[in-house]
Amino acid sequence: MSILEKLSLKAKEHPMRVAFPEGENEKMMQAAYECALEGAISAILVGDTEKLRDLASERGLDPEKFTYADLADETIIADVIAKYTALPDTRLKEKALRRRMADPLYYAMVMQAAGEADVTFAGINYTTEDVLLAGQMIIGLKEGISTVSSIGLCEIPGFCGSEGELLAVGDSAVCANPSEEQLADIAISACETVKELLDWEPRCAFISYSTLGSGQGPLIDKVSAAVKIAQEKRPDLKLDGEFQLDAAIVPAVAEKKVKRESAVAGKANVLIWPDLNVGNAGVKLIQILGHADAYGPLLQGFKKIICDCSRSAPVSELKGNIIMSAIRAAAQ
Amino acid sequence: MERKELEEQIFEMIAQLYKKDAEDLSLDTTFKDDLGGASVLMVGLVSEIENELDVMIQLQDAAACETIGDLVDKVEEEME
Repeated sequence: MSILEKLSLKAKEHPMRVAFPEGENEKMMQAAYECALEGAISAILVGDTEKLRDLASERGLDPEKFTYADLADETIIADVIAKYTALPDTRLKEKALRRRMADPLYYAMVMQAAGEADVTFAGINYTTEDVLLAGQMIIGLKEGISTVSSIGLCEIPGFCGSEGELLAVGDSAVCANPSEEQLADIAISACETVKELLDWEPRCAFISYSTLGSGQGPLIDKVSAAVKIAQEKRPDLKLDGEFQLDAAIVPAVAEKKVKRESAVAGKANVLIWPDLNVGNAGVKLIQILGHADAYGPLLQGFKKIICDCSRSAPVSELKGNIIMSAIRAAAQ
Repeated sequence: MERKELEEQIFEMIAQLYKKDAEDLSLDTTFKDDLGGASVLMVGLVSEIENELDVMIQLQDAAACETIGDLVDKVEEEME
């Protein structure tokens, strides 16, 4: 059974309400429909209800399998605005919210923040920037977390790591040049993400070209400083480094290079790249040379689960991301 | 709204959000070097401008402003 099949079964245990602000898009509607039909989620299409129903029928889908949040439904709008503005630490007041809610992306997130949905799933038409900005404005960041970031889940045929063929890596998509503090927060968020999604006990390695001071220079200093910050912020998590990639995931190399006790070295299941140059190259190397499937990016750092899918994602990939987002929401 | 009044309102918002003294702020104060450039605070500032001045500034436009003066210009432009 593949990881996605296992996750699909898990999602069905507690189907979450997923809001889709791009339900008019054919691939998005199809993916939402299949996930709902399989019982993995309850799909809420945000937009013009009549148009969405007609589109579903034209595409041979049963419109009754969706629920709808109509952009013109004053009852729903008034209800979610009242709930949203009653929350602590929200940014926008009623008039500004109403204006923003003309956009289905903001509408979906306000619903989610107000407790009327568990996930907002977008990105097929909206850009990553659109999704991240709306998320920061409406959902906000988790307490103590300074940056939005992402991880990907790699299924690497033949890899014998501490979680078999699976390895989580981040950030390969969002935070380009994290500061020490941000790098620490990316690692902490990544640990939370793999716990939510996979029930792993995270063992998180900060990757560098040096292992515990074997090299010197400002690039290494940033990573080692991030390790200290992360360990101080979250002593309950297994966070360690700086490690070279082999010292992080190959037990024999770790034994040779890491001359002190480490709960992470040689058995890391989460790798944190020092910046996006490394992250982007790293995940592509895993995909191309390791013939791996890489799922994600899974956005992290927000108070609630938001997913920004790839604009070129096929229906199968959308379904995988919907299911992973729903599981994370159920675990929160 | 007069330009001076707008400037004062935006100084007050920035002082509150960035935890600075409004009297230490000027139109030449830079977001990145003088205020630390935290994007989370910029989200708050854009929201506050939207709430209090009824002007919707895109976050990416606000983030592109180097100084407070640039932001005041942007808000004034949107108010016209």
